[in-house]
Amino acid sequence: MEHIPSPTVDLVSLAPVLVLSVFAMMVLLVDLYVKRDKTLVIFISLVGLLMTAISAFAKFDLPVHSFNDSYVVDELSVFFIMIFTLSSALAILLSIDYNKREGIRMGEYYSLILLCTVGMILLASSTDMIMIFLGIEIVSICLYVLAGIRRSDPKSNEAALKYFLLGAFATGFLLYGMTLVYGATGTTKLGLIAELIREEQIASKPLMLMGIVLLIIGFGFKVASVPFHMWAPDVYHGAPTPVTAFMAVGPKAAAFAAFFRVFAEAMPVLSPSWESLLCIVAVLSMFIGNVGAIMQTNIKRLLAYSSVSHVGYILIAVIAKNSLGSSSLVFYMLAYAFMIFGAFGIVILIGRKENEMLEIADYSGLAYKHPLMAISMSVFLLSLGGMPPLAGFVAKFYIFSAAIKEGFVTLVVLAVLNSVISFYYYLKVIVYMYMKEPEGEFQISLAPMTVFVVVIAMVGTAGLGIFPDPILYFTQH
Amino acid sequence: MSEYFFISLAAIVAIGVVAVLLLLSTILGPRNPNRAKLTPYECGIIPQEEAKGRYPVRFATLAMLFIIFDIEVVFMYPWAVSLGELKLFGLLEMVVFIAILGIAYIYIWGRGGLEWD
Amino acid sequence: MIDDIVHFFEPYIYLIVGGVKAIIIAVALTAVVPGLVWLERRLMGRFQVRLGPNRVGPFGLGQPISDSIKLLFKESIIQSSADKFLFHLAPAIVVFTAILSFAVIPITQPFEIFGQTIGPWIANIDSGILFIFAISGMGIYGKVIAGLSSNSKYSLMGGLRSSAQMISYELTLGIAALSIIVMTGSLNLVDMVKSQEAVPFILVQPLAFLLFFIAGVAETNRAPFDLPEAEQELVAGFHTEYTGMKFAMFFMGEYINMVTMSSLVTLLFLGGWNTYILPQNALTGFLAFAFKVLFLLCFFIWLRSTFPRIRYDRLMTFGWKFLLPIAIFNLLLTSALKVL
Repeated sequence: MEHIPSPTVDLVSLAPVLVLSVFAMMVLLVDLYVKRDKTLVIFISLVGLLMTAISAFAKFDLPVHSFNDSYVVDELSVFFIMIFTLSSALAILLSIDYNKREGIRMGEYYSLILLCTVGMILLASSTDMIMIFLGIEIVSICLYVLAGIRRSDPKSNEAALKYFLLGAFATGFLLYGMTLVYGATGTTKLGLIAELIREEQIASKPLMLMGIVLLIIGFGFKVASVPFHMWAPDVYHGAPTPVTAFMAVGPKAAAFAAFFRVFAEAMPVLSPSWESLLCIVAVLSMFIGNVGAIMQTNIKRLLAYSSVSHVGYILIAVIAKNSLGSSSLVFYMLAYAFMIFGAFGIVILIGRKENEMLEIADYSGLAYKHPLMAISMSVFLLSLGGMPPLAGFVAKFYIFSAAIKEGFVTLVVLAVLNSVISFYYYLKVIVYMYMKEPEGEFQISLAPMTVFVVVIAMVGTAGLGIFPDPILYFTQH
Repeated sequence: MSEYFFISLAAIVAIGVVAVLLLLSTILGPRNPNRAKLTPYECGIIPQEEAKGRYPVRFATLAMLFIIFDIEVVFMYPWAVSLGELKLFGLLEMVVFIAILGIAYIYIWGRGGLEWD
Repeated sequence: MIDDIVHFFEPYIYLIVGGVKAIIIAVALTAVVPGLVWLERRLMGRFQVRLGPNRVGPFGLGQPISDSIKLLFKESIIQSSADKFLFHLAPAIVVFTAILSFAVIPITQPFEIFGQTIGPWIANIDSGILFIFAISGMGIYGKVIAGLSSNSKYSLMGGLRSSAQMISYELTLGIAALSIIVMTGSLNLVDMVKSQEAVPFILVQPLAFLLFFIAGVAETNRAPFDLPEAEQELVAGFHTEYTGMKFAMFFMGEYINMVTMSSLVTLLFLGGWNTYILPQNALTGFLAFAFKVLFLLCFFIWLRSTFPRIRYDRLMTFGWKFLLPIAIFNLLLTSALKVL
């Protein structure tokens, strides 16, 4: 019998994934036996995320390639693991009070968030298309379930079903794209693809180009860029609010990490063929996201459309494909995480058991009753719009400068124009809060954990805006 | 000549047997249908509705459980064949694999996925 | 002259031999079914202290033959709301998969005849046991399609129950077989028999044998696991609406599956054609194999007349909560013993 070659196993570099998987399974089992009280489950989840974040630093001499070059630990992945664990921890904290209020008593909820994070880590750290696919599948399947976790709510069911059907469809596109690229190059390893496509002969194969288009479609769906954004508003609307916040940050960041690895790192040689396509997608995302957001009356849908437009901005970082692009990508995702979790934290705080208060009109006169809350919401919204000196401004600034360095001036001008448009709808909410009379009673019980998340988000948003240097230093080195 | 060729031979013969049986029953049997014969059997009661409709969701969940476990079993076949070569490494890998599967199993059991009522 | 003919056919000899083997096995399987029916009815009669069929021919041997002729001449009724094509397809699948899955079963050791070495199997493939599982697994389709296409409530329930039961016990069946695969390191059935030359695996792997046999009884829908066709509650389940030969085809499939399952148990656990005490050649090998299979078939019938049908939820619980963990435990134990 032939000898079976064993892969280069390096469990230390896989430590974050392993730690988090073990904790996710632990949560699953503990929940079976501790049915009533979710405190223990939540505690284990948070400890697991903390341990994961620590174990991400297990390797020193970066980058480390392992498992036959299909898994890599480098600065980008370590930084992304930080973002993932942070956003998952924030999502879990945000869920504590929300789940109590809405009667979501399933311990699987926390386990799914952890497993989703496992998928995100795999996605951000893999340098093999098969691994990327597996990562995307792990993330997506967890999200399908999370979106529909409020089983008795038809909106939640609708969200899960829509997300699942479209997501499965898009996964098909992604897989086809990978297959075609594999057909053209004969490998699924991103490192090898990068070398192979230096040859004109392989790079100009129609298979390759077709594969790239399909990959863009697949990834475009996963990050909700126009014209593959249709699911986003409905899913964001129907999913439980903490899940919405989680979906808008973690999985999106992970998909962008993979996006960046596939396009900017493995295929920069081919950029003439995908650059213009991505530019169109980016510009469309910004425009349609912003214009769509203007017409919304529901705060969750508004934030969904705004996240579509943010995808447009972030895509510019992928298009820029330089080292500044990657560092601005992670910086943007971090800033975005704080802003989104803050905004959704406020949305959760304002809602109550029977009425989630999701209409923008419900925010009328918030400033008179709860000035602090109105101020924090305004800060988050303005930061999303890109107002200096908040985090959103610095993040956008770095992405734009990365693009200008590569000569994409028109793109940047369009993006800046869009930022201006976006202020219209962000300000609309602020106008409701400050300049309208209150319509009904606010019955706000300040749930401690949610307030805690909002405070963290506030510190993050303001801190990153005013003192971006330490984080930027970290992202660039 | 591949051994699989003989399997296709066997398949052809099996198809032949099936075809002969079906044909014979069609040719030899008499044919005088009436209404009572052509309605579905329901112990003599006239059927009120189509039989195709809703059926217990337990069957669907069972199918899902089967898929999960069957795929694990499929992974075990090549492992079992080459265990003699993989030695302790193979055994440990399978112990980890089955442990993860076992957690899923305990979870399904605990959540009542294996109850049938 | 004869030399010329032989010379002409020489390149095709494998084809002729293969074809003849395929036909012999298919015909033998088809012919063995009436015999089995007779055996079952006679034995059941004995078990229940009555005579069983004894009027037609000596010992009632003519009874199954006249029964099958009668079935051929019966009207085949297809109720009007049934799906005609699927309705015909279902029994075809059942018989087809039953016959085909026997293709890889070696019934004795290879022997020489006219200077040709002939393997007493249709095909000797490396994935033998997988092939059997795959093909007999396809048989489930026949039952489900029968249940769906009949458009009758009893049929639907029977089809669903049948598929649920069969997929549940397939897991145990597969994992129990894995213990043997771990021991032999091969999926090939001939290799498996060869590695039992010294001692049959039933002595080494009694637990796996029990699991495999129980799961096998459930897989073939035999009592006490015959819920899909429970005549008292489901009026024969998925084949309620079938008449005449098509009805008989389901029974053919079931009996052939019984033979295949008995053969598989023989090959995996009872040492196949190894005679152990008698001198070993192709003929005694075949006799040993046939004797073991026949013994198992009688055991099947014995089970049927001994045990009452178990309740459906108990059946599922038994498969999932009892057999499956034990099977996995046995597999781990076996592989640990093999490695350490």
